[in-house]
Amino acid sequence: MRILLVEDDTMIGESLREALRAQGLAADWVRDGRAADAALASERFDAVLLDLGLPQRSGLDVLRALRARGNATPVIVVTARDALADKVAGLDAGADDYLLKPFELDELLARLRAVVRRQAGRATSALVVADLRLDAATREVSRGGRPVLLSAREFALLEALMERPGAILSRAQLEDRLYGWGEELESNAISVYVHQLRKKLGDDVLHTLRGVGYYVGPAKER
Amino acid sequence: MKAMRSLRLRLFSFLLALAAVVAAVVGSATYASVRTEADELFDYQLRQMALSLRDQGRIADDERSALANAEFDYVVQVWSIDGVQLYSSLPGRQTALLPARAVLGFSNVEVDGHTWRVFGAATPLRVVQVGQPLAVRRRLAAEAAGRSVLPVLVAAPAVALAMWWLVGLSLAPLARVAEAARRRGAAALDPLPTAALPSEMQPLVDAFNALLGRLSAAFDAERAFIADAAHELRTPLTALRLQIGLVRDAPDAPAREAALARLRAGVERAVHLVEQLLALARAEPGAGAAQATIDLALVARQALADAEPLAAAQGAQIRLDAPEALPMQGDAAALRSLLRNLVDNALKHGRRDGEAGARVALALRSAAEGAVLEVDDAGPGIAAAEREHAFERFRRGDTSRSEGSGLGLAIVQAVARQHGGSVELGSSAEGGLRVTVRLPRR
Repeated sequence: MRILLVEDDTMIGESLREALRAQGLAADWVRDGRAADAALASERFDAVLLDLGLPQRSGLDVLRALRARGNATPVIVVTARDALADKVAGLDAGADDYLLKPFELDELLARLRAVVRRQAGRATSALVVADLRLDAATREVSRGGRPVLLSAREFALLEALMERPGAILSRAQLEDRLYGWGEELESNAISVYVHQLRKKLGDDVLHTLRGVGYYVGPAKER
Repeated sequence: MKAMRSLRLRLFSFLLALAAVVAAVVGSATYASVRTEADELFDYQLRQMALSLRDQGRIADDERSALANAEFDYVVQVWSIDGVQLYSSLPGRQTALLPARAVLGFSNVEVDGHTWRVFGAATPLRVVQVGQPLAVRRRLAAEAAGRSVLPVLVAAPAVALAMWWLVGLSLAPLARVAEAARRRGAAALDPLPTAALPSEMQPLVDAFNALLGRLSAAFDAERAFIADAAHELRTPLTALRLQIGLVRDAPDAPAREAALARLRAGVERAVHLVEQLLALARAEPGAGAAQATIDLALVARQALADAEPLAAAQGAQIRLDAPEALPMQGDAAALRSLLRNLVDNALKHGRRDGEAGARVALALRSAAEGAVLEVDDAGPGIAAAEREHAFERFRRGDTSRSEGSGLGLAIVQAVARQHGGSVELGSSAEGGLRVTVRLPRR
């Protein structure tokens, strides 16, 4: 999952990016409203964590502009403004959720999962493809009822593929989902993770279309 | 004795006393004038009566009975020239009544403790004396005085009662104001009603309302400040929570060390914010500066020493141009905080693009009106239009939110004002910001 973090406070931004990455989420961090506009206009994110009190351009303006462009990316407003009017304004401007500072990291992660899940039209946090099951909330993966232990990156890669079973994601798309800006990235990282996932899950669930990308589900006819 | 506080009671008593004085003055004046008139009149009568009896020679019978009437105030005695009493209108008491000695003309005679006015007239053959008790005259005068005083004495309590009622009526609006003040809660600081208030009370209620207005403004400022402060505290607390989460989730020792270092920095920042809030609260109007003779030059050197580690870490240069000593009246701790905030601000914002660290020049001099402190830096400065907002609490330059509490200049201004001084923002020779603080010597 790739998250855009819009936060002008250095300490909060750094810590939050660190925490999101520790969860295997790709987190990109911008510090002001204009940079947020630019990032949202040029790249695709699974969710946005948006502070309201930003330099250059307010978070509400960024949010309105995003929705005006027809972009439905889930947005969680994360702010210290607790007045009812602020909450109403935030939600009316197109926010999917509203989280007050200071918040607990676990709550932020849960809300993040919830908005992404709703976006995908699912009722639970579990993704199921045949006998393969991935729960984003508990971070548990099982195959045929047998638990499988995955690293954060492996989990993130599998989650990206399981969100839309059968859909093919290119290596570049997967890299985008897994890595934030400026993160060190080996050129064959994705194929390494795919290899490890096949070792842990068996080689009949995660398929490669050479030169095109990867997908999860029943093998496609050649 | 306790001073008489009630306006009503005071007016009431004053009116009664005034009436008493008026009555006394009118009464005695009337008494005196009536006595004078009565004296003249009765003396004239005495003389006429005596002269007519002398010239008559003998007293007719009908006259005798008239003179002998007990209700008649006058006593008449006739003596022969050799001292034999020929006639007395009060037979039997003649010797005791008027002295046999013939005093011609008017005289006052004491008989049995009563004073008589007597006129004596003589012919070659006899002496006629006519006497009248002075008490008659006194009674007449007293009666006249009584009559003239009576209306005053009757009217005074009535006037006083009317005044009592009138004062009550006039003070009723004040009572309404008091009731309005009593009914309101501690938070209600809107003005008291001034409708129908007598013009004498208007200034009091106006002054009170002006005070309420100032209090209300101060309360609003406090409320806004507390709301702002709570809001501002959320940011470092959010960082702390996240940093604690990072420590908890750190997979290995080096990661935990790094997370703990971040957590420490987060705590330092929260502590700094709280200290800045306290510094501001201490310098708020009403707190009052601790007054002592201090050396501002020494305080400046101490503040620079405080800032030295930070400056060294940033590769910043700080220059101090100050006299050996600059004594003044003030609060050393507050002034050190003022200087430290100015230096910190300059270190933070005073770096020119392309240079390693900030360049800060601190100049302290003694002028006619007091001490003048100038802090210059080489940074981008503050645009003229932005300067008036720069002192607002939690106001930060557009790009540097995370590095400061947003209270620095607010503290500088509060401390300067606490010392009766002022702060001014301008441009330094380097094109950066110049902050000028003027502190009167007092």
